[in-house]
Amino acid sequence: MSIMAYNGASVVAMKGKNCVAIASDRRFGVQALTVSCDFQKIFKVNDRLFYGLAGLGTDVQTLSERFRFKSNMYKLREERDLEPKTFAHMVSSTLYEKRFGPYFVEPVVAGLDKKGEPFVCSTDLIGCINFAKDFVVAGTASQNLYGMCETVWREDLEPEELFEAVSQALLNAVDRDCLSGWGAVVHIITPEKIITRTLKGRMD
Amino acid sequence: MLADAPAATHHAAAMQRRVDPYADNGGTAVAIAGEDYAIIAADTRQSEGYNINSRNAPKAFQLNESTVVSCCGFYADATALTTYLKQRIVQYEFDHDKPMSTPALAQLLSITLYGKRFFPYYVHNILAGLDEEGRGCIFNYDPVGSFEKYRWQAAGSGVSLIQPFLDNQVGFKNMPLEKNPPFLPLAKALQLVKDAFTSATERDIYTGDCVEIFIITKDGVRKESYDLKKD
Repeated sequence: MSIMAYNGASVVAMKGKNCVAIASDRRFGVQALTVSCDFQKIFKVNDRLFYGLAGLGTDVQTLSERFRFKSNMYKLREERDLEPKTFAHMVSSTLYEKRFGPYFVEPVVAGLDKKGEPFVCSTDLIGCINFAKDFVVAGTASQNLYGMCETVWREDLEPEELFEAVSQALLNAVDRDCLSGWGAVVHIITPEKIITRTLKGRMD
Repeated sequence: MLADAPAATHHAAAMQRRVDPYADNGGTAVAIAGEDYAIIAADTRQSEGYNINSRNAPKAFQLNESTVVSCCGFYADATALTTYLKQRIVQYEFDHDKPMSTPALAQLLSITLYGKRFFPYYVHNILAGLDEEGRGCIFNYDPVGSFEKYRWQAAGSGVSLIQPFLDNQVGFKNMPLEKNPPFLPLAKALQLVKDAFTSATERDIYTGDCVEIFIITKDGVRKESYDLKKD
């Protein structure tokens, strides 16, 4: 079995009108066995920047700690918040440092830049960035997510519409993937606030 | 194999040249069953690796006045299988003096596929038609003949992209609804099929060029063709 499919995970991020959404499932498993239903895969950098990590669980946790360290140091030195694009490049270089012994993760970055412009991107496990103008997907249900996002996404979705779109995309995609699911977490990031909802889908 | 051979010794491991009898020619099919209709659609691109062999190689075949089958996977096995099925339909009509019904064909396809259990037809079939009561029915098969009746199903290289979309829009999954999802009207189902193909064409390199949609009703089988992106 592929090492990227050992624990199972799915993450998706979408652009909306002056907002972005990022969502993930909550399952943590060891191949066929489900071990936990509240495994965190999306992490906050600041009030306008989130990122998600799909892939091997240990690397998800290790990298989230490394990124917490790097972003804290950035904040102390620069005395300003990280911009999404800058963080994306930080993720990319962190991964490429391990080019010949990589972290087995597929990161997804979503945020609003200092002008409030929405930003989403994803990278592969060695740091190649995909700057998308619509949505990005990662994880064991990535094919399913591509199909769902391609049909439900439209340009300039308002925050509540974006929430519906990303939730339906994630829930229906993970329902066809044995290794993802057991609930979902959705964050909608707008200039004024962050809306976080936990969804209960099929718990199997 | 060669990488495993020990570098120190000089004898090569006993090797037997084998030809891989199968190929993956790509392509996607979608089918939806309604109250009094069945829709089945398949794209017409045939590929091998990164090459396109043909932009007009249909994967859905009309077998008789009431049934259409789509075969995704290895194109040679798809044509061999459908040729065989057409021959068996002619035989059936001589033996029974009546057209072969869709459920009967469904069973025939299953036993034909299992007949080659130890050298399978490398195809994922979907059979569509009307049942004895005139309601739409589709049957989904694995390569060795395991089959089940469904109300919606996708197959082929775009199956993972399209199946969740169908679950959501035809089956109303993850949407607050009463127990039994209502049957879709024909026009709505047709629009969903077209959207499914345009979306799959965007993200799946093996899907594209053109989609042929067969609409089966009590009045017969109608075919419609729509262009898809050719990149």
